[in-house]
This record gives sequence, structure tokens and C-alpha cells, in this order.
Amino acid sequence: MTSETGIGASVKRKEDARFITGAGHYTDDINQPGQLYAVFVRSMYPRAEIRSIDVSSALAMEGVMAAYTGADLAADGIGDLPCGWMVKSKDGSDMIQPPHPPVAVSVVNYVGEPYAMVVAETLQAARDGAEAVTADFNEIPAVVDLASAHGADQIHEAVPGNQCYDWELGDREATDAAFASADHVTSLDIVNNRLIPNAMEPRAAVGMYEAATGNYTLYTTSQNPHLARLVLAAFVNVAAESKLRVIAPDVGGGFGSKIFVYAEETAVIWAAGKLARAIKWRADRSESFLADAHGRDHRTRAELALNADGTFVGLRVKTVANMGAYLSLFASSVPTYLYGTLLAGQYRTPAIYVEVQSVFTNTAPVDAYRGAGRPEATYVVERLVETAARELGKDPADIRRLNFIQPEDFPYETPVALTYDTGDYDASLKKAIELIGYDDFAERKASSEANGKKRGIGFSCYIEACGLAPSQVAISLGAGVGLFESAEVRVDVTGSVSVMTGCHSHGQGHETTFAQIVSDKLGIPFENVDVVHGDTGRSDYGLGTYGSRSLVVGGSAIVKATDKVIAKSRKIAAHMLESTEENVDFEEGTFSVTDSNQSITFPEVAFSAYVPGNYPLDELEPGLSEKAFYDPENFTYPAGAHICEVEVDPETGKVEIVNFVAVDDFGEIINPMIVAGQVHGGLAQGIGQALLEHGIYDESGQLVTGSYMDYTMPRADDMPNFVVDTTVTPCTHNPLGAKGCGEAGAIGSTAAVMNALTDALGVVDVPMPATPETVWRAMEGE
Amino acid sequence: MEDYARVVDRFVGFGGRTLEQSGQYRILAARAVVWDALNDADVLAACIEGCESVTKLSDHRFDANITAKLGPVKTKFKATIEVSDRNPPESYSLEVSVKGGMQGFGKGRAEVELAEDQNATLLSYRVEGNVGGKLAQMGSRLITAAGRKMADGFFSRFSERWADTI
Amino acid sequence: MEISLTVNGTEHTTDVPDNSLLVEIIRERLNLTGTHVGCDTSQCGACTIHMNGRSVKSCTVLAGQADGADITTIEGIGTVDALHPMQEAFRENHALQCGFCTPGMIMSAIDLVEKGKPLDERSVREGLEGNLCRCTGYHNIVKAVLDAQDKM
Repeated sequence: MTSETGIGASVKRKEDARFITGAGHYTDDINQPGQLYAVFVRSMYPRAEIRSIDVSSALAMEGVMAAYTGADLAADGIGDLPCGWMVKSKDGSDMIQPPHPPVAVSVVNYVGEPYAMVVAETLQAARDGAEAVTADFNEIPAVVDLASAHGADQIHEAVPGNQCYDWELGDREATDAAFASADHVTSLDIVNNRLIPNAMEPRAAVGMYEAATGNYTLYTTSQNPHLARLVLAAFVNVAAESKLRVIAPDVGGGFGSKIFVYAEETAVIWAAGKLARAIKWRADRSESFLADAHGRDHRTRAELALNADGTFVGLRVKTVANMGAYLSLFASSVPTYLYGTLLAGQYRTPAIYVEVQSVFTNTAPVDAYRGAGRPEATYVVERLVETAARELGKDPADIRRLNFIQPEDFPYETPVALTYDTGDYDASLKKAIELIGYDDFAERKASSEANGKKRGIGFSCYIEACGLAPSQVAISLGAGVGLFESAEVRVDVTGSVSVMTGCHSHGQGHETTFAQIVSDKLGIPFENVDVVHGDTGRSDYGLGTYGSRSLVVGGSAIVKATDKVIAKSRKIAAHMLESTEENVDFEEGTFSVTDSNQSITFPEVAFSAYVPGNYPLDELEPGLSEKAFYDPENFTYPAGAHICEVEVDPETGKVEIVNFVAVDDFGEIINPMIVAGQVHGGLAQGIGQALLEHGIYDESGQLVTGSYMDYTMPRADDMPNFVVDTTVTPCTHNPLGAKGCGEAGAIGSTAAVMNALTDALGVVDVPMPATPETVWRAMEGE
Repeated sequence: MEDYARVVDRFVGFGGRTLEQSGQYRILAARAVVWDALNDADVLAACIEGCESVTKLSDHRFDANITAKLGPVKTKFKATIEVSDRNPPESYSLEVSVKGGMQGFGKGRAEVELAEDQNATLLSYRVEGNVGGKLAQMGSRLITAAGRKMADGFFSRFSERWADTI
Repeated sequence: MEISLTVNGTEHTTDVPDNSLLVEIIRERLNLTGTHVGCDTSQCGACTIHMNGRSVKSCTVLAGQADGADITTIEGIGTVDALHPMQEAFRENHALQCGFCTPGMIMSAIDLVEKGKPLDERSVREGLEGNLCRCTGYHNIVKAVLDAQDKM
């Protein structure tokens, strides 16, 4: 039974039945009796002082119930949207967090920032009402260009030079010394392009309030409903945590952008209380472009010092990171603790020093997007390594092998604050090289050339730190919350099981993967296990899903709770079998007395727990439901080798990915089918960054890639078939041996594509995205 | 490394500014006649595509209501035109501000010069401007092209008023 | 205006505002929320349905244009117990993750197979160009469509 549905099996997903029949319940599918509709009025100006806002004509319109401005929220005690991670500058000072009212009060600082909300009986009436809101703005020239933002005209009164912080990590002196004595230095100036996440489901919220009880319920498109509840209760002051239930029902993709607490759900739940009516809001796609947190957007100067034989001796990195106009919930941590700490990559580079200046600009806030900091770090390291290999005339695989941390080096302490637990980097590289047929590449290149095409190959050996995170480490580094996970395994009278988790599935397939774990461990049918997630009213607590943490942290909590269920069941079984705990074995759902033929099944034990006739009530409480909190000891370190082969048409500059191989080490795998799917999706996003996607503001601060007509989303015919495979070194410190797989595709692939492209063209760098025009210009030497 | 401005320029179109356009027309009328027409609300209204009305509030200020299809967005705009650097009958500058409600806004400056050319007049213009809000967000390249077409359409129609005269 | 249309075999007559879109009628009047709205420029394809046997993006059709039409939505092609071969292939090949693009993707894919057989990888990729998916990288969707065409 368990072999087909247990740990390691590619079980078809439980959640699919509802999605393929159109029976999913996304937030916009949820309607409440008497519900009103909210529309936000958004700034068209990148930066302006609000002289006045007039909502009177809106209020006079038919169907309009209310029109609120930021001043109304402020007057009612609604607080600012906080940033949950305190980063300190080199000099020990705290980062500067400018005020971030959910609805703008006196200034607007990016196009799309909301400054009023209209609530009406119908969506159309709310739209008409929003159109009728007038405001008098005093436009101020915007700060847009990241390169010159530091020192440009000051955006926030509290933030001199627009600098949020100036952070460093590593040993500067040792690194400088390594550079001084190195035989060779490879330098690159790197731009990591701004991306717009674009989960296919636009953000939405339905807020409800019951005056008689004072209870609020918020349906929202969130990756972490408990965290949303905490922020809305503790920081924004909407209601006490106990009075606020946050439900994230089916959520149509997140990729980071739905981690954060935004203005819209805040204003919606607040207004629902004011009007004592349900209120619905759903973003138009153009609002998603303007007001979802964007990703990436770094400018970096990176240098790698090597000995003549190719041994890395030092790495020096200086990055300017764009925060946008305000600090989003985890924005500060992304270019620091999720970036600088990963710069060792898979290598034994002995001295590393990184400085990061984060600056404000009059653009949408920037925060975590799939990979969050780790794709940027991988891009820096892997572009440098490949470039160094070319400059020294080394094979790109050989130079990596020469510098890999070796299996016997683990646990390995990097110069940038992490301790890698395990890995075998060469195993993945070796497999990837075989799968792509590296030895025959020269022949393929020659045949492309015979057809007038340029062919190139590029490597990327990435590492990531996942499974956020050991709470005490995170908190000591500035995190405002613990990063453990909770689980409850509730066994019903008849032996079916509900598993409550604080993680949230918005595509990852937790309902399947987590059920596999529990059914495997309890030896009960997969169909008898239901996974419940996304509802603060149903699961105790949780920190949600991001940073490839769900299986590693949430799954481990489930294992822990399941083990508690088994331990208690064993006691009950021992009593029922008139034996002792030590003499009772549990295997495939059956408790049996060692060396006897006496046995009892798990459902029989469960029944006895709830109908405790023959039951040790003097020692054990009745019932069979256990909770666990799991706090990881360390991050996990998935790693792998991605190799990309491209063909470029020199006439048009069009880049075609002709071969893509990803070999990843995710530790132990529960469902290989789901894992491969996660990799495919990540690869498409990483390749999208390299070749297609770019969020662009014009020099005045207008977003000019604000629709699917201008922002190039990867489409089916832009993507190749992928070859994905895995190697396994089990994680040493969690009960599943798992490392996490959600982001790897997006972390490793971008550098592999750009390494392949620069190899094909014989140039040092091409800016991303490498559109046909950009590539054509690179070939022309522009 | 490519600087940001260059990337933006390439994306936004030629020249770097969101909208930049210039042109010259030879008009078969005397300069004084052309000058008067340039200051006549009815003439202006007739030359602006989709114009519903132009109201002359003073020598320095016109208001206009325009319905225009710019790229994918068809919307009503309210335009205010402020005349500056008025130097009759040789030149003036127009500061144009266009508001399209939730659809966005446009701002531009047009410099117009009239030179005598025998018994005709040479009209030269230079327009630069940019758009914001939804107009910039949704297909700004289309909108830039539409803006160019509008600017040139205006002066072309204006010149054609005298195509058969003299 | 009053319109009559047949949706998933049931005839409906309803009074709708002149400017309403077919997708709004499907989602809000008929409560068939499997048809999704993912953009406002008719690019994403999440709202794809069949109208008189051909796939259309229901956000590009005015309700009035659908007067008299025969409409099929994702809810009308199969049930959990009797799935359409395309639905089955999507599940078997793990061609969906968050599920938001899935109804539109399935409706497009069915039309593609019905009019385009035999399809190969390239023609499936080109045929699904009007439907965006952010989760799967399209790899398994392409596999599913090729798999389904043998069973349709």
C-alpha cells in the first residue's frame, strides 16, 4: 500500500481534482451576502506632495457607500506597514525605516501608490466613484535611477542620501590581502534586472466583520496567513489576533509576492469593520504590475582573485540594491542575509568581503521574488567563475572542480557566516555533464556554425540556503519573528487523519506531499489523510511558505507530531495487547507484540482512544491528536549544477535554448513528480529573467512595462524541454533528510543561460534580458 | 556596462524622450494670417483630431476637450494650453497639459516659429512631452507613436487650410 | 439588454448591462467560477471558454455578442468521476500547480487538439502561446496535451 503512495512515490496530486474541474476556491470566487466592492485610487505621479483630496463628488454618486483617504485610516489608529527584519549598517546603526502608511497621507512616492479607497454596492459604482475622486498634487522630480539614487534628491525626510543601510559581511582586510597577492583578478559589473512577479492570480481580499461578536474574517491571497494576522493585529492595529481570522484559500501562485502584507487587504479589513459589511477587492493586472512588490534590481561590482592554477583566493563584492519607495515586509533581508551569506557558493574561497548599500527610489517596493537574494548571489559568483575560467584558459568544469568544497570538508564553515551541513557538488556536475553530452559539444558547435548559427555552453553550480530558519539565528540577525513551523496530526475516531499545517500551498502540492508522509508513517491509506492549511482558525500557528521551507520545516513538524501520535498509540496498543511499550512493534499500520502473533491495527487503537473502554485512563488522556512545533537547527543547503546550451541567430540576435540540464541535490525526496515540476517552473522564471523579463521605469518614474503587452512573460514557445535529474546527500539535521526544492530552478538557471550566451558570442557580458535587439547590438560591438 | 538611461531609451523608443517630434510646413498664406489662425480657438479646434471644443479663456490660455484613441485606450481628455514666450507674429510656445482621469496624463511643450518665405510662411515646430499613469503603463510605445501622429496631424491639417489659396 | 445563451447544456435568459463581458456573466451571474480572470488586456488566457465549439477568451466577448451562443466552460467538459481526456492528462502529467491558469489552458488545449491533429511538441507550444502559466514552465503541459491527443 505505502509503496505506491508513500515517501518517494510520484503520487498524483490530491488537489488536482478540484483544479482541473474548475472547482477551486480562489479569493475572487468567494462572495458574501450583501458584499460591497472596493476600488483604490492610485497615484499617477512617481512623486508628489498631496495638497488635498476631495471625495465629495464620489460620495454623492449612486451606490457609493464610503470613500476613505489615508488620513481617515490614520485618524482611526491604523498603523504603518512594517518591515520585519532589522538590518544594521557597518557602523552599527539601525537601518532607516521611513513611514509607510497603507494609504498615502501627505506624499505619494511611486506610481500606483494608493491614496484613496472607494467602496460601493457594485464594482462598476466603485470604479465610477474612484474616477470621481479628485486630488491636488504638487509634483516633485522623482529619483528613479538606481546608480545615482544614493545622494540624489532626498525622498524621505528621515533618510539622508536615500540610504536605508550600508551593510557589510566578511573580512575586509583578509580579502584585500588576498587580492594584493593574487596572480589574477577577474572583475565584472553586473546588473541584476528588476522583475515583476506576476503570479497568475491577481491579489484579492474579502473582508468581513460581525458587529455582535467583534470578529473579523479576512480572505486574502497570502502565502502566510498567520503572519498576515500578526502584522494586521500587532502593527497595523486592525483587531486583536484572537478577533481576526485570516484565511488564504486556494491561491494562484505567489513566488514571494504574496508573502507581504499590503495596503489593500489592510484597508479592506479595516473598512469592513467601519461599514459592518463584507467588502471585496480584486486587483486588475495593471494594479498587480504597479503595486505588487517587485524583485531583484541590483547593481554590482564583483571581483574574484585567483592563483595562476585557477584556485580562488578572494572574492570582493559591492552591491547597490533597490528597495523601491518603502520597505516591504522582508525587503531589508533579501540583499543582505539571503544574498551576502551565499557568496561562497560551492567553493572554498578563503576570504570574502561584501558591502551592500540599499537605497530608496520612487518605484514600487522591491522584496523577495522566487529565490530572493540567492539568485542574485549565484549570478554574481557563477558569472565571475565562468569569466575567470575563460580569462585563464581553463575549462569551466575543471575550474569549478578545483575549487569545490569536497564531501570530506563538511560541515564546512564559510567566510560569510553559514555552515553547510553536507553536499557532493561534483556528483551533480558530473551527472549534468553526462546528460548534456559535454564531450560532444565541440561537434554540435561546429554543426551550428555550418548552419550559420553561433552556439555556446554555460555552467552554473549554485548553492542556496533554504528552510528558513533557525529562529534564534534569524532573530539574532534582526528577524522580527521566529521561523519555526507548527503541525497538528488529528486522528479521527474511525482512523482517518487531518493534518493541520502553518505552511500554505499555492501550487506546491502540500496536500499530497504531506499526506504521503503521514500515511507512510502511520501505515494508513493515503486517501484517509487530509491536509488542512491556510486558515488561522484551523491551524495553531505557522510562518507560511517561502524560502523552500515547507517540507523542510513544516514537514519536519508534521513528522514530529506524527511521531507523538505513534508514541501514544504504542502505549494504548501495549495496554490493549496486555504487553509493554518496549515489546510492541509498529510497522505498516499494525502494532504487534514482539515474537508473538498478537496484533492490533492503528484504526483499532484510534477507536479505543475515543471509546476508551479497554484503555489505560489512569495513565493516558483519551483522544488521539498531537501537536508539534519544529525549529530547525540550521538552514538546509540544496545545491546543483545547471548547464545550458544556446544557439544564436546572428542575423536577428534571437537566442534559442537548445539544451538545458538541471541536476539538483534536494536531499531526500518525497514526491519526485512534484519536485521535477517545481524545478521546471523555477527554470522558466530564471530563463525568463535572462532572456525576456524586465520591469522598466522611464526616466520620469513611470512604469512602462505595466502590462502583458510590454512585460515579456515566458510563453510556451519561448521555453525548451528541460532535462532534470537529482543526486542525493541527505540533510543531516532534519528528520526527513530533505533540503527544499522550490527555488532552485530560478536560482541556478539565469547564470547558466548568460554564461552560454556570452560563450556563443565571445563577449564578456550582455545585459539582461538578452532580447534579440540587445544580443544583436552586443554582436555589433555596441 | 550599459547605463540605465540607455536601456530605457532603447525600450521607450528613439531619441530617449517619451515623445519628441519636429517638422516644418510651408503655408500658402501671409505670416500675419497664419499667426491669427494660430490664436483662433475655432481654427485650433478644427485641426485637433477628435477635438470636441476649444475655449479661449485669454490670449494665454485655451481649454480643450478631446476624445482620442491612444494605443489601446480610448478616452476623453481635458487639455489646458498655456501660451508663453508670445512674440507676435513670429513665435510662441505652448505648454500643454492633458488629463485623462484614471487613464493618466500627458505633459508637453511645443515651440512654434513662423518665418516669412516670399508670400508664404514657413511654420516650424518642435514638440516634446511625456505621459504618465495608465497611458505610460499600457503600451507606451503605441502611445508615443499615437502622440507623434497627433502632433504632426495637427500641423499638417493646419497647413492644409491654405492649400488652395493665393 | 436581455440575452439567451446555452451554458454547459443549460439555457439561460438574463438581463445584463450593455457593457458587460461574457466572463462577468459566466462568473457572476451563473456562478461558474472555474473561468478565471488573470489580466485586463486579453493576454493571459485564464478566461478561455468554448463558444460555438471554438475556444475564445471570454474577456474579449461582450455578453451581447454571446446572445444565442452555445457556451462550454471548464465545468461543462467533465466531472471528477468522468474526466475529459484532457483533464485526465493534465493530472497524470502534473501539468498544473497552482491551478489558476488550468481551466483556460485545458479549454485552449482541447480546441487545439480538436482542430490541429496531429500535433508535435513545437505545434503544441505555438498553439498554447495565448495562455500564460507561471508555475509549470510549460514542460508538463506540453507533455499532457501530446498525451491527450492520443486519447481524444
